[in-house]
Amino acid sequence: MKFNFLVGASLLALGACTVAEAPAPEALEADLTNSEPTSQQISAGPHYSAATSNTHPTRVYWGDTHLHTNLSQDAFTFGVTLGADESYKFAKGEPVVATHGEIAQLQRPLDFLVVSDHAEGLGAMKALLDGNEKLLKVERLQRWREEFLKGTAEARNAVAQDGRGNGWPLELESEEIKSDSWAHLRGAAERYNEPGKFTAFIGFEWTSSPGGSNLHRVVIFKDGAEKTGKTLPFSQNESDKPEDLWKYLQSYETKTGGQVLAIPHNGNISNGLMFPLLQENGQPLGAAYVETRSRWEPIMEVTQIKGDGETHAFLSPNDEFANYETWDFGNFKGVLKTDDMLEFEYARSALKNGLKLEADFGTNPYKLGMIGSTDSHTALSTADEDNFYGKHSAGMEPQKNRWKDPVGKGGDQAIPGFMMAASGSAAVWAKQNTRESIWDAMKRKEVYATTGPRMTVRLFGGWNFQEADAYNPDLARIGYAGGVPMGGDLSANPADQAPTFLIAAARDPMGANLDRVQMVKGWRATDGETHEQVYDVKWAGQRSIGADGKLPAIGSTVDVANATYSNSIGAAELAIVWQDPDFDAKQHAFYYVRVLEIPTPRWTGYDAKYFETQMAPMVRLQHQERAYTSPIWYTPNAE
Amino acid sequence: MKIIRTICYSVLVLAGTACQPVEQAKEVGIQPEPAETVAAQSLGHGQPDKLLWGDTHLHTSNSADAFSFGARLTPADAYRFARGEEVVSSSGLKAQLARPLDFLVVADHAEGLGLSVELFNGNPLLMTDAKARRWHDMLNAGPEQSFKVAKEMITSLSTGTLPEPITNPKTVVPLLRATWHRNTEVADEFNTPGVFTALIGYEYTSVPQGNNLHRVVVFRDGKAKTDQILPFSALGSEDPEDLWAVLARYEQKTGGQVLAIPHNSNLSNGRMFARVDFAGEPIDEAYATDRARWEPLVEITQIKGDSESHPFLSPNDEFAAFGDAGWDLGNLSLQQLKKPEMLAGDYVREALKTGLDLGAETGTNPFKYGVIGSTDSHTGLSTADDNNFFGKHADSEPKPDRIRHVVNGSIPGRATRIGWQYQAGGYAAVWARENTREEVWDALKRKEVYGTTGPRMRVRFFGGSGFGADDAKSANMAGIGYAKGVPMGGDMELDEGETPSFLVAAMKDPDGANLDRVQIIKGWRGIDGETYEQIYEVNWAGNRTLNEDGKLSSIGSTVNVSDASYDNSIGASELSSIWQDPDFDPDLPSFYYVRVLEIPTPRWPAYDAKRFGVEMPEGTQTSQQERAYTSPIWYTPK
Repeated sequence: MKFNFLVGASLLALGACTVAEAPAPEALEADLTNSEPTSQQISAGPHYSAATSNTHPTRVYWGDTHLHTNLSQDAFTFGVTLGADESYKFAKGEPVVATHGEIAQLQRPLDFLVVSDHAEGLGAMKALLDGNEKLLKVERLQRWREEFLKGTAEARNAVAQDGRGNGWPLELESEEIKSDSWAHLRGAAERYNEPGKFTAFIGFEWTSSPGGSNLHRVVIFKDGAEKTGKTLPFSQNESDKPEDLWKYLQSYETKTGGQVLAIPHNGNISNGLMFPLLQENGQPLGAAYVETRSRWEPIMEVTQIKGDGETHAFLSPNDEFANYETWDFGNFKGVLKTDDMLEFEYARSALKNGLKLEADFGTNPYKLGMIGSTDSHTALSTADEDNFYGKHSAGMEPQKNRWKDPVGKGGDQAIPGFMMAASGSAAVWAKQNTRESIWDAMKRKEVYATTGPRMTVRLFGGWNFQEADAYNPDLARIGYAGGVPMGGDLSANPADQAPTFLIAAARDPMGANLDRVQMVKGWRATDGETHEQVYDVKWAGQRSIGADGKLPAIGSTVDVANATYSNSIGAAELAIVWQDPDFDAKQHAFYYVRVLEIPTPRWTGYDAKYFETQMAPMVRLQHQERAYTSPIWYTPNAE
Repeated sequence: MKIIRTICYSVLVLAGTACQPVEQAKEVGIQPEPAETVAAQSLGHGQPDKLLWGDTHLHTSNSADAFSFGARLTPADAYRFARGEEVVSSSGLKAQLARPLDFLVVADHAEGLGLSVELFNGNPLLMTDAKARRWHDMLNAGPEQSFKVAKEMITSLSTGTLPEPITNPKTVVPLLRATWHRNTEVADEFNTPGVFTALIGYEYTSVPQGNNLHRVVVFRDGKAKTDQILPFSALGSEDPEDLWAVLARYEQKTGGQVLAIPHNSNLSNGRMFARVDFAGEPIDEAYATDRARWEPLVEITQIKGDSESHPFLSPNDEFAAFGDAGWDLGNLSLQQLKKPEMLAGDYVREALKTGLDLGAETGTNPFKYGVIGSTDSHTGLSTADDNNFFGKHADSEPKPDRIRHVVNGSIPGRATRIGWQYQAGGYAAVWARENTREEVWDALKRKEVYGTTGPRMRVRFFGGSGFGADDAKSANMAGIGYAKGVPMGGDMELDEGETPSFLVAAMKDPDGANLDRVQIIKGWRGIDGETYEQIYEVNWAGNRTLNEDGKLSSIGSTVNVSDASYDNSIGASELSSIWQDPDFDPDLPSFYYVRVLEIPTPRWPAYDAKRFGVEMPEGTQTSQQERAYTSPIWYTPK
């Protein structure tokens, strides 16, 4: 029988408690018996909570895998004064004083950050300024230090000029300085890494640029300071060949038992070298290359300040959203771009060519998941349009004229600041905010890219998702149970039917509504040629697909003069189950989701308002930001 | 085909218009002199932009009643569970939250804190007595014997035959203090600024004649300060004014800060929000000031029912009966049945109205309450999800017959509370800048908080003047809200001739059900001295229109009871709008709060019936519309 015990509990008068504040007459405290928790005596039975059987990630973490500080040679000569400590503080949401004296702060903190300073001459410029004796034995470097001490942009620029024009002194590659700098970076990562709250990865950038063509990779270690202390960042001065970087990664894992991966970026500045079909000498890539590449490079950085690399209007002429933040002038040395290069630079065409290479060699080297990151050289990871600190500290942090001042040069061509994209972010589906959990998610490609906003995007591929699954509150569990998440593989095709995809996108709760969700499919036909198709699968409002197969534009609420927009159009959430209407079970294919926001002001629009300045007519002041998921690949059963 | 390179194009055009700067600054790295110091463009800094979820009211094995019902989980277990880890429940089930909480108050009963555990474990200080030794043996002999001990304790108390060591301050106070000190130590250990906040607290369990006057006491401070006092027991005094005096002394002594949260007004039989004090004297200004000083919040919804409203008080509110079934039969113990005239002192909406009246009479509104939800779970497990509900007590953890349990010792043939009437709720939502003790406590104190019956809807509510129709759709909605008005829990300032407008934005729980509607509930005191209420339908899903009497038709339901499922094919994921009071009278004191309703979802008995393959007792409510209640915004005439 039951009775109400609360009455009893309250009546447990225990005379002594009547005046709880009375000082105890004798001992202040008595020994308690149960220093062992009583709960430890319970034996575990079956589970009741669904969460105890969760094996899947339930939340998305936001971060930047690509950020430079004052230990990067170029960032330093651009004038940045902030180091890794400030980078982490800023990423964690604290206000920091930016290089030019403003107080900068993120609207929302990041969950993780990779400080990825250039391996080449790591920390040397700062060491020079700090008066490193060995460096000061070189007369030219003495002069450089004097320039730095002037503290002016002109002086710093003179040094950069000298370095680029007359070569960088070999002394800058001092192993001692590099080792000290590496220790500093590892130490900072350890200090700011807080499992469960904030993940600080140890990493660096390998800055291979043969002939000015970008083959850069960001290298990210899963491990802490101890294992990474057994290696030094690999520099392009040791080798500018990716094969040698991969050897370095292999030797790290062999030596330490640790884990590491590499992320290529800015294929758009590689002049056709980033995702090749053939070696430079025209020979086939070969099985060793494709296998090794796929071993070390699971994901690519598809959007960042130096442009968006999803696809190019030349490659995807039927895609009206292809021309987004495009940087296609040429490479770093001003070697101009030609059309034939583009295919080997952009994510979508690389994914397609990967299917070709798989046919040749049995392995797809471009089976790449997608993330975004900033590549900012200000030590400040900013991807929000209304809080954009620019590419670097030489005039590209907020100031009235940065839109027309040059962000850089390609050969003799100045690239105006307005070309910068306030982009991007890496979204990671992980179980916990720890190095292990986030790194593993990158490795298995359960990640997606955005151009900055924090949309939540789920994508699952399976054979039997039903229409109602998209309305089910337990969507993720259904997705994992009935299929594979983004980054995964579909093969065995049970009933000779087309795959189904469960897609759910929710807008950034502090951002813009959604315009539409698209499925981008690429495939290899039986004749060996590759193709692509963009399907509008779900959209906001009462629009219908026109005769041309296109969905009409959503319109715009952007008030350019005031740099505002309104969520009076668009949808907060778009979810659907989509089945491929053109499926051919014999064709290798990939599917990824692109989510478009309604138009919002671009950072130039916010700058125009904030600085009360008129920009030239060609400067875009609004745009449609977006997310790209990692693909799901379909591979036919072996014949 | 030669494509036009974006860059060539832009450089060319630029050259024709504004090329000079490019010419001047040809080289990379030439940095223009900063023309001005640039402030960060970030918007809204300094305003609370983090929504934190928690439970301010959880019991562990240190509560005497919880222990007797079989709870064996400690505060450390409770914190582990709350922050998302898997634990084993007292009845041996693996338990885990689908999503962790951001903060937790372990609020064990002050009365006899930890003593049952000491008896159970045979603390030598207590084992000097034969009766205590017998109780020790019985507590270890299984549930039935354990319950018997609880009964014997009450009998012993009333007959003055408690074991000597329990009545002897020399033994018992040091034991209580040791338990309290261990609690504060564990709280400090689990408190992780930025990740998880463990607020130190306890429950003051005043229940005169079975009428619930309980308060949860929540400290802003850590062990160093809270160790300087002991929890105040209702045995010391059942009069809440004495509790407030103790809280005042705590603040004077330590320089710390503390507040108290009354709960289960629905079980007070009219006493929680009575117009008289504990002694029966009319509330005066001193009382009103003290109460408003120490009790900024009320717990509006929890396992033992929902205290927002009652159909008797709000006959025009078709959603008023939520969570009332069974609980409105009488007081906490069901010793005394409910009479209709008691209800006004039991429910929060009516209390808010009474507060306006008392404010007009005494000069201070004693019931100027913000609202939160919490569980009052006695299992060490803070569960408010209907599909993961671990019940009120360890003996109502998931098992096939718990929906049929008799909850309250019934008065035969007159009134009985049945297991299915427990509510799987609620949680406290807090708008803060950071997840720290200071930030969470300060938000509680300024009432920038709301309560839900379990789901995690995101609700913003601002009141002020001059909101434009577009403001609710702005990406900077919160920034506009703070700039043009005050947030939930605040006081509206209006200039002469201004009418109030409100910015209301609700997003559904991203892992839960769509929204049905958003309502604003207004209460006011007329010039006749009477108080009134009105519910306005402000925003809703679908293509429904208001009918003649201002009512909105029901959204329908997708609930499949036998499958314990629903889907989001109806409802909206977000509802935001600006609302202007069409009936505003600047001379009348009033309050406004928001109620957000979800589409219907299964109640926990439906999940149980499916999972255990059992029939539900007749009359069981199988589906419900869960909801959020915001703290009000008040308007006071100048």
